[in-house]
Amino acid sequence: MAVLGASHSRDLGIRHYPLLVYVMTPLVALVLQAWLPRLLMGYVWFDLPLIVTIYFALVRRDPVQGTLMGMGLGLFEDALTHHPIGINGVAKTVAGFLAGSMGIRIDVENQTIRVILTFLLSILSSAIYIFVYRILLGLDLQWNWFSDLMKAVVNSLIAAALFPLLDRVQIRD
Amino acid sequence: MESFFFRYRNLLVLLALLLAQIIGLAVQVRRTDSGRNVLDPPDGAGVRLIRFWADGLLTPPEQLVHGSKLGLLSLWQNYLDLRHTREQNLDLQKTIDRMRLEQASLLEDARQGERLQALNDFQQKYIYKTLAAQAIGSSGSDQSRVFYIDKGANYGLTPDMAVITADGIVGKVREVFPRSAQVLAINDQTSGAGVILETTRTRGILRGSAAGRPQIVGILADQRIQPGEKVLTAGGDQIFPRGLPVGVVEKVVPDPERDSFINVIVKPAAHIDRLDEVLVITSTEPRFPADQLQDMATSEQLKGADAAAIKEQRKASDIMAERLPGLSDPNAPAPAPNPASGAAPASGPPAQSGQTPLPPTPAPKLLPAMHPDRFTPGAADSSAQKNEIPPTANQEEKPAPNPASKPVTPKRNQ
Repeated sequence: MAVLGASHSRDLGIRHYPLLVYVMTPLVALVLQAWLPRLLMGYVWFDLPLIVTIYFALVRRDPVQGTLMGMGLGLFEDALTHHPIGINGVAKTVAGFLAGSMGIRIDVENQTIRVILTFLLSILSSAIYIFVYRILLGLDLQWNWFSDLMKAVVNSLIAAALFPLLDRVQIRD
Repeated sequence: MESFFFRYRNLLVLLALLLAQIIGLAVQVRRTDSGRNVLDPPDGAGVRLIRFWADGLLTPPEQLVHGSKLGLLSLWQNYLDLRHTREQNLDLQKTIDRMRLEQASLLEDARQGERLQALNDFQQKYIYKTLAAQAIGSSGSDQSRVFYIDKGANYGLTPDMAVITADGIVGKVREVFPRSAQVLAINDQTSGAGVILETTRTRGILRGSAAGRPQIVGILADQRIQPGEKVLTAGGDQIFPRGLPVGVVEKVVPDPERDSFINVIVKPAAHIDRLDEVLVITSTEPRFPADQLQDMATSEQLKGADAAAIKEQRKASDIMAERLPGLSDPNAPAPAPNPASGAAPASGPPAQSGQTPLPPTPAPKLLPAMHPDRFTPGAADSSAQKNEIPPTANQEEKPAPNPASKPVTPKRNQ
């Protein structure tokens, strides 16, 4: 239990946030993800739950927490579609795990690294989605690479703006 | 052993969660007889429960956000931005008057169509009842073109009900929750609607593409299909009533997988990506609904006389147009000159005598009857005035009708 102590967290640079932030940020991300496409003429070139997953996995530096959050938000997104439940879950589970694992090894204060990581994990998440849908489940799905590339770019831009804002609400010692 | 689990704790958690999700995915997919994997259409109880939770969690905040937006919009439109309202009202009133006139003139054609359909034993389904609903959210994914409306099972919605707007069809209800429902749009890859091209009468199935463009897939190449042709619902899918607008043909592209087949890209009539209010068809009937019948009766009452007058004018114009080419018909006999006016009569009065041949008219070109009677064209009026059936065809003209005499109805052949 020593690894969970306050001093160890401080040594690792693990951030803490108010409980309301932990609850409201994913919920707001899900609501906006479902609501904004109606205003944007159906262009869904962003994935707010993925961005939130990457952020909390990075700053918490905990792969298990990133895995659980990714799985929860992914399953939630799946439940809003008419596709099988679990495709987004698998993709975001892997993304959350990798983000948490990276958080231990890299400097999470560096904004450029975080944006690049968001771009790469967005591409990976889309690739896993296509893989699970077409290869693992053997279902028909037309794929538009340009849309996924744009999604990764827009996710990076949103991350560049959102991460500093979320940094400000952390609990400081 | 303890150290192994602790050491690989993160990886083991990841693998366990992935395995659980993959097993969960496997039970949602079914293999058909043809060897293709398809989604199990009716969601299982567990899957439905997850969707129910997700909907229950997201619908209230979505309704709140959507309600706030509508409130602000309503405040602006109904209280602040009322310029040109009076002019618009006048224009709308004129439009209503014009449409009532059109409806009254088309009413008889519609009734005739119904009679002919009854003769052909064809049951045309008319939209009987609709329910207005607001679109409040989407799936948030470009791979799943579904959206949510704020009416659900509490309002009597059930799966497979058609969803339309005034412009055209939008989709069908896929999943119903107590206070909301999920609608599968026509531009989704898994959707399917039976459609027909208005001019070429080519039938096909409308599906969505990866980019969210509706297209009619798997139809044989046809040079007659051109951009701009209207696409309507065919009515064979048991979801959309026949004849609803779908869109127009945007372009025709060859099917990438099959030679001699084409895909017709359709520009949808409804703004599928920017919907606010939609109508759910909750009931269809094989006849006009009561409110439409009442509306038609009102139109007939208000504008029936005007419509009849216009129809008579058109009929007269048509008759005149038919006769004009007869002036140059070489086979037509020359009209007898009228000594009084010096001009040929357009239509000579019917002969008062049965023996006298009718005055020649350019059209219709009928040969004079050898033994004209009251059924002879042109002699009907004179026969009707007699109020009696002539005993013989060659009977002389009777005197003026006697009001006291009993009219005789022609008997039908038994």
